[in-house]
Amino acid sequence: MKFIVAVKQVPDTTKIEIDANGSLIRTGVPSILDPYCEYCLDLVRRIRKDGDTVIAVAMGPDQAKEALLRCLEMGADEAYLLSDRAFAGADTYATARTLHMFITKVCPDYDLIFCGEQAADGNTAQVPGELARMMCVQQFYYTKDIVSKGDHFEVTQDYRDEERVCVAQPPSLISVSEGDINRYVPSISQHIKAKDKEIRVLNRIDLGLGMYSVGLKGSRTKIVSSRTPDVGSECETIDGSDPSKAADRIMEVF
Amino acid sequence: MGCESCSGGSCSTDGGKDGLPPGMLQQYDLNQSTADGGLVWIETVVQGDSIRISDVSVQLLGKLRKMSDARLFGVLFGGPEVKPLYDEIFSYGVDTLYHVRTRGPSVYRPEVYADCLADVSNRVNPAVILIGGTLRGREIAPRLAASLSTGLTADCTELSMDGRDLLMTRPAFGGNIIATISATSFPQMATLRPDIFPMPEPEIGRKGTVIYREPVCSKQKEIISSVMKKTSEIDISKAKVLISLGNGVRRSSVETAERIASKLGGMVSCSRSLVDKGWMPMSRQVGQSGRSVSPDIYIAFGISGSVQHKAGINSAKKIIAVNIDPDAPIKDVCDEFIVGDADLILEELDRRLS
Ligand SMILES: Cc1cc2nc3c(=O)[nH]c(=O)nc-3n(C[C@H](O)[C@H](O)[C@H](O)COP(=O)(O)OP(=O)(O)OC[C@H]3O[C@@H](n4cnc5c(N)ncnc54)[C@H](O)[C@@H]3O)c2cc1C
Ligand SMILES: Nc1ncnc2c1ncn2[C@@H]1O[C@H](COP(=O)(O)O)[C@@H](O)[C@H]1O
Repeated sequence: MKFIVAVKQVPDTTKIEIDANGSLIRTGVPSILDPYCEYCLDLVRRIRKDGDTVIAVAMGPDQAKEALLRCLEMGADEAYLLSDRAFAGADTYATARTLHMFITKVCPDYDLIFCGEQAADGNTAQVPGELARMMCVQQFYYTKDIVSKGDHFEVTQDYRDEERVCVAQPPSLISVSEGDINRYVPSISQHIKAKDKEIRVLNRIDLGLGMYSVGLKGSRTKIVSSRTPDVGSECETIDGSDPSKAADRIMEVF
Repeated sequence: MGCESCSGGSCSTDGGKDGLPPGMLQQYDLNQSTADGGLVWIETVVQGDSIRISDVSVQLLGKLRKMSDARLFGVLFGGPEVKPLYDEIFSYGVDTLYHVRTRGPSVYRPEVYADCLADVSNRVNPAVILIGGTLRGREIAPRLAASLSTGLTADCTELSMDGRDLLMTRPAFGGNIIATISATSFPQMATLRPDIFPMPEPEIGRKGTVIYREPVCSKQKEIISSVMKKTSEIDISKAKVLISLGNGVRRSSVETAERIASKLGGMVSCSRSLVDKGWMPMSRQVGQSGRSVSPDIYIAFGISGSVQHKAGINSAKKIIAVNIDPDAPIKDVCDEFIVGDADLILEELDRRLS
């Protein structure tokens, strides 16, 4: 079987802080492989058998190679970086379109595509559904477990009010929502092996995409403005060393 | 691998039949342009034997009605059991309701639902499509957007219209940034976060038109089992008061907080740490991978305020935090920040209320 894992590099949002003006401090925030993508790789590691191929693909700047290296450490066999200046500013539509072209060109014989449910930076959860539609395959959102049944898979989906088990026939797209919060620590030998593997870089021309299909120009949405939320400034700090006074204060609110 | 598994139109039942009862065309106001209309997926919720319209669908209809007086289209899935909902749907402003009719209750299938919505959208050519930001809505919307080759903005918390143009506002980076986004293609699509917009007043007796559609025949996936979870599970997203606990409280405070919450007519929620510790069920977790909540008052005890946690509380009306650390990041989003010991303050509150 051939599994594709679409991965994204994101700033480590557990380490983001806000400065006194309420702006995001980005410098010094490390970039990591999105946690949901790690969950994907975990799931794939569990269902893969000898002879299966796991292909990690990320669209992003050169720096995203680090995220791909992490995928290789976590068991991916091949890694592709889709990188081009023209890809910058892509919304989810343009992102899905680029991933779609990559899969069509490079690995059309895939069995399953894995995506993280939502990326930690945008939380849109849109790329998986858009990609599934573009590939014309069924989609399995909110997947928390997957079991291999020979030529097909059984997927457990958690809709919160309903738990579903469905048959996923290849080719299909799986969007993963749950996993182990503790990050997987690769062994030294996995690390060395990963370092030896090549991360192939493909640009817009390699994928055969037009200028107006990718990046900002290929996007269907645009950011008009952005601001930091205007909260916090009027925040009142209250000394609560005396629990009784603190309780008074809280009761007043009611 | 062909595209027959999701052919958006080839097998729909177009061709003039539409299941229109005789004479109905006369009532259908063909002079009004549909190009400015809004289309909404009317999501239904089954509760025991009864079925109702999901709150977020009603909120969307209310919001659309307020923003524009263009024609409003609804799309409803189901069998005869959803018919009693027609009047209510019209009372919230729908002019034309497309009922995608199934023999029995409709089984939710994202591929079929997205294809049917695309089918209706292609017919009525709306300017705006809004979908509730529920789990199912957020699964269907991107698939629908891709079939219509249009853009989509997720999980909006504000919407406004400037002529035909929709401005969509949403939090990103766990609520640290608020971005306003516009679409560069039609229809303009957004999913909206539940319980941000008010429930509108129904206009009792308001009438509209129903048009039946047959489901388009996407290749259906096999569902081996579907277990509805007990609704006894507490739904924190609807609470008006939330007492929320984090890693900074001791175990006995969970019980104390439950007592306080019940006295105040609220509920107890928590950060992910307490779910990880096994003190609280997943259903109580607030944040990016938990619930988004919008209570009138949110009181966070011993919660540091990670980006993931804050992502779930940016629509709370008032936030109070109790933390021993005067610089805890949750301070940035609070209205009142109490520096003190969470356990002691909880005990004190409990004493007063009992
Ligand atoms: C993909 C992903 C998704 C996530 N999703 C979520 C999510 O949905 N929701 C969520 O909450 N987290 C989520 N997290 C985890 C998140 O990053 C944080 O780890 C978590 O929110 C921390 O919880 P906390 O604030 O309770 O604990 P901590 O960060 O440990 O904070 C404890 C706080 O308690 C204070 N304290 C200690 N003792 C006392 C005392 N006696 N009295 C008062 N205060 C005291 C401390 O000063 C500190 O500020 C997610 C993480 C990842 C990677
Ligand atoms: N730039 C990208 N490159 C590769 N995969 C991506 C990219 N952006 C999003 N994805 C995939 O889509 C999932 C959901 O992301 P999003 O829709 O941005 O919330 C991620 O977990 C990835 O699997």
